[in-house]
Amino acid sequence: MRRWFYRNKGEKKTDKTLAEHLEKLKKASGDFEQYVVETNHGSFVLSYYDPLIDKKTLSEQVIAPLKLAGNTNWNEAAEVIWTAESQYMQDKDRILDHLARGYIFIRRHNGENSGWLCPAKVEHEREINVPEVEFSVAGPQESFVEGLDTNLFLIRKRLPVAELQVEKMRVGTTTQTDVAIIYLKGVVNEENLQTVRQRLQDVTYDHIQDTNQLAQMIQDKTLTLFPQFVNTERPDRVAAILVEGKIAFISEGSPEAVTAPATLLEFFSSLEDYYLPWYVATFIRFLRFGAVAFSILATPIYVAVLTYHYEMIPKDLLATLVASRSNIPFPPVIEALFLEFTIELLREAGARLPSKVGQTIGIVGGIVIGQASVEAGLTSNILLIVVALAALASFTTPVYQMGNTIRILRFPFILATAFMGLIGLAVTLMFTVIHLMKLTSLGRPYLEPFFPLRLTDWKDAVLRLPFSFFKDRPQYTRPKRRFRGPQKHKRQGQKSPDIDEFYQ
Amino acid sequence: MMSSQPPKYVQTPPFSAFFLVHAMQIGVGVLGFQRVVMEASGYDAWMSVLFAGVGVSVSIWLMYIILNTYEADIVTIHKLLFGSLIGNALSLILMIYFFVVAVVILRTFIEVLQVWVFYDLQTWVLSVLAAVFFWFALNGGFRLVAGLCVFGVLFPSGLFIILYLPLEYAEINNILPILQHNFQEVALGAKETILAYIGPELLLMAYPFIERARLSHKWAQMGHAATVYIYFSVMVVSLLFYSEMQIERLIWPTLTMLKIVEFPFIERFEYVGLFLWLIVVTPNIALCLWASSRGVKRIFSIRQRTALYVMLPIFATLPTFFADRQGIETFNNAVSTFGLYILIGYLPFLFIIHQLKRWLKGGRRNETN
Repeated sequence: MRRWFYRNKGEKKTDKTLAEHLEKLKKASGDFEQYVVETNHGSFVLSYYDPLIDKKTLSEQVIAPLKLAGNTNWNEAAEVIWTAESQYMQDKDRILDHLARGYIFIRRHNGENSGWLCPAKVEHEREINVPEVEFSVAGPQESFVEGLDTNLFLIRKRLPVAELQVEKMRVGTTTQTDVAIIYLKGVVNEENLQTVRQRLQDVTYDHIQDTNQLAQMIQDKTLTLFPQFVNTERPDRVAAILVEGKIAFISEGSPEAVTAPATLLEFFSSLEDYYLPWYVATFIRFLRFGAVAFSILATPIYVAVLTYHYEMIPKDLLATLVASRSNIPFPPVIEALFLEFTIELLREAGARLPSKVGQTIGIVGGIVIGQASVEAGLTSNILLIVVALAALASFTTPVYQMGNTIRILRFPFILATAFMGLIGLAVTLMFTVIHLMKLTSLGRPYLEPFFPLRLTDWKDAVLRLPFSFFKDRPQYTRPKRRFRGPQKHKRQGQKSPDIDEFYQ
Repeated sequence: MMSSQPPKYVQTPPFSAFFLVHAMQIGVGVLGFQRVVMEASGYDAWMSVLFAGVGVSVSIWLMYIILNTYEADIVTIHKLLFGSLIGNALSLILMIYFFVVAVVILRTFIEVLQVWVFYDLQTWVLSVLAAVFFWFALNGGFRLVAGLCVFGVLFPSGLFIILYLPLEYAEINNILPILQHNFQEVALGAKETILAYIGPELLLMAYPFIERARLSHKWAQMGHAATVYIYFSVMVVSLLFYSEMQIERLIWPTLTMLKIVEFPFIERFEYVGLFLWLIVVTPNIALCLWASSRGVKRIFSIRQRTALYVMLPIFATLPTFFADRQGIETFNNAVSTFGLYILIGYLPFLFIIHQLKRWLKGGRRNETN
């Protein structure tokens, strides 16, 4: 807001000098300082926004050298001031812009319109912490924080190569938020990179507070339940996708990076999969796929079977089901919707409530409401189990946003099964599949490696085979360099050693 | 002739011919082709399945020879072979056939659902829903239809193993001794089986959409071979499971067979089979509708969307005209007989015309080269 305000003013009255302008700022804003330093070779005016400035830098590296310096003339001031990257500046707009970003402007006290800009930004950031949304048992335990430079440090630390390149740009008409596009030169697909660059430049929204906000503005299609980019708070995940030839971007002040392009399957793979042995990881992946399918389909199947197809249930099981449902006055769909909404309510409340209260509410609410509604004859025991398991299963996705999608996706399924039983289920499933087939992420197919069918990409996307299988990068990203390491030629005529033989 | 060659980004790789052919062949036919075949060749029906498979394979081969020469779809080929007027008329008949096949598949599937699950389900509910669905699907273009074929083949493939479970009650003596029927009867059975094999003729429209389409021939043959394998398995299992008298009384022996599959947590397994079948027939219909709308676009030079605006309402209303079993059966027979003659009559005829034309032009072409 502030910047926009000033810029308009400046454009209106172009004849106003910088000094007058700064005076005006001082009057307009209570936290703006104009500090006059008297030295033995003249007096200087320091202009800055007080809250943005590190006082120690100000006093030790700017004021002290200015006062101590003996016979410095104005042109050598840069050597006196000890802050890094101080620069001489005449352009009024750029000076004002820098002031709002934690720079000190130094000029002589004679109404001159140029002077030196020194960075003295105070850094108030939280410590690098353990990831809380994407927690993992094995592997690195650090996550991004709200400072762009720290986040870039975290990534560069993991990829200490010159190929790692960062492009910075300003996005947001009012906030002018710094956004960094990160990629691995020589690996990244230039076409994708150009798409990201172009779309970020085209954003015309006024304020950007978080990377996810930005991601929604540049995604291919907004009329969809499915997230088209992966958001992550783990630097190791970002490093891994950069090496695959994808692109990441982070905005200043956001503890999350967004990586693009993404496929549906990427939302079900955690980086922890690569820290565990391949058979364990593959098992866990299949568990996740199963969990997601269960989470979406369990309640709808319950509704469909109990509304229309009870003959599908074996005799013995039917007795149990009928017994648990005999007192319930509602059709299955009302029962299911009631419980699903209860669970959603608990989940939302659990996320919003202060942590000290939240935990109690979650447990108490779950147990009390569940039990009470069963005893009151509102829902059946079996549905309670099904719904609770489905809710649990939706949390197995490593990316939070996909969990939300699964939460919502089950309601159309429930409604469809209430109308047409399992046919409704199959029809909704086909609609979902078609929708997914049409989706793209940066113009790349979302359902890869199923559609288009690329079996070579299954080894890393569907399964997680041993690392010896990962000689080339996924075809999906169309990386410039296909092979991860030097391309090995097959050793010819060499067989594996026989029993009791060894390589020399 | 501008629009005859689709741009590269809508093309699909050669192996998609496998899924196109296979997905198109496996349709509602496999639910109940056993009865008609057995009526002709009894317990030697499995031989009919194999013979018919070889026959259709030859027909695919002929089709590829023609297509590879012109590297275009059937509309262009018709124009080149018969001139603009007759060629377009022939193409239009073929497109109407594709469209009617879509209607037949939809109607048959709705009938199965009405008999098996919802006896009071109105036909128009599902046909309108289907029209809406295919509007969305076809807007995705050929690639999406091909993707549906892949999905429709891969997703239910887990079900396939379940078709073997009725072997628990197999009676091996049913098919022994083999060759109780003479060649004529087996051949007649083979003719009946071809009705279940129709589908590869869709490649006549899809060919330009396959990149390096020449290479797709072997994939098309493999897709067909996979179909033969499935039909053969289903046939053998049915023969071992049913007696001849039983099978004569069943409209959909495959579904009935699934009834005996039982798990501790689920009974009436044919329900699951039926709903997976919806996923199988979806690419079937989508491909037919795509081919016919594409053909109409090429014949009349209108937009494919415009063609669909006209076709989809008809597609939604036509099934309601066939209310009873008798009507559906007649409709089905008429359409599949037409398909049969396209596959084993018209394609060879086209091949002969094509060869004749080449011979006639042969001398001149040699000179120019």
